[in-house]
Amino acid sequence: MPTKDEVFEKVQEALVEALGVDDDEVTPEATLVGDLGAESIDFLDIVFRLEKAFDIKIPRGELFPEDVWTNAEYVQDGKVTEAGLEELRRRMPFANLDEFAKNPVVQEFGNLLTVADMCRFVEGKVDVTD
Amino acid sequence: MQLEGKIALVTGGSRGIGRACVVELARRGADVTFVYHSNAESAAKLVAELEGQGLKVRAEQADVRSAERAQQIVDGIVERHDRIDVLVNSAGIVMDGLLGSMLPDQWSSVIETNLTGTFNYCRAVTQQMMYQRSGSVVNLSSTAAEFASRGQVNYAASKGGINGLTKGMAKELAPRKIRVNAVAPGMIETDMSAAVRNLAGDQIKKAIPMKRIGKPEEIASVVAFLAGDDASYITGQVLLVDGGLSLGTY
Repeated sequence: MPTKDEVFEKVQEALVEALGVDDDEVTPEATLVGDLGAESIDFLDIVFRLEKAFDIKIPRGELFPEDVWTNAEYVQDGKVTEAGLEELRRRMPFANLDEFAKNPVVQEFGNLLTVADMCRFVEGKVDVTD
Repeated sequence: MQLEGKIALVTGGSRGIGRACVVELARRGADVTFVYHSNAESAAKLVAELEGQGLKVRAEQADVRSAERAQQIVDGIVERHDRIDVLVNSAGIVMDGLLGSMLPDQWSSVIETNLTGTFNYCRAVTQQMMYQRSGSVVNLSSTAAEFASRGQVNYAASKGGINGLTKGMAKELAPRKIRVNAVAPGMIETDMSAAVRNLAGDQIKKAIPMKRIGKPEEIASVVAFLAGDDASYITGQVLLVDGGLSLGTY
């Protein structure tokens, strides 16, 4: 059973390898897209590395629900609708969407997900001790 | 040997061009797993023949239309070898007929086997190859994708789709050091082309500038080249191997 620190270390390692960034760049507050330069295809790589590191299965689209962006019900005029925000909250309980919800421009969404969110995502999948 | 120690997977490996690819990759030193659909006997024969030569080969039965089975086969290879270096998508069928009388099933069977089958295996290897930061995929296309022939709208569409898939995948994965190419054979001596060859007789040779039908081995050697490190700077290409057929008659 990993501790929260161990979860962070493994997430950090996965991000360093997938994104080619340095250890010290991967802080809990760092955003994956804005600070670490992740592109959408990198999420596939990150997910796979997390699966291997923690011996878990992560269904595609669970960490980063890309299908929401192509659904007309959830996105109108480049902004996420109320229904879309609700769907994102349901699908991404590990992420804090409050700031994003104030001005939910789709393009800004990538900037929202942080390393700490990713750790919370993993913690939801494995039993963690303090 | 050019492919020494490489771990390879070939679909449609029990006959025709796929079989020649299995032989060529194994001879060049790769450890090859091949997928066959219905011909267990010829698959077993091929395994015995290559094992008899001290080469590494293994057969797996699968319907390439199943994405789940594709993933299962790739996962099995990774479990055994901890990696996968080469994927060759060669499984394909023809169900010719003129468009006006083509049954929906003739259309969907060919698209699902040739195009969706290729997609299934490409998709199945992507994460592992990304993880490795290496890999080479070679898809079997056809000159039929670009040069029209009557009675093959389904086949031509499936192969045109493979060209698009190849280029798109190549662009997505090039930064991860994965190369994706296609080989487009012209008229080749296989069971699949037998009907056309029998129907057209010697006429068909006259349309080919080199005046002869190609051999499966002449496709397999190009596939093996693209699969290996000699082609390390080639990606997203559709290489025509057709004795000059695509140059036109005049």
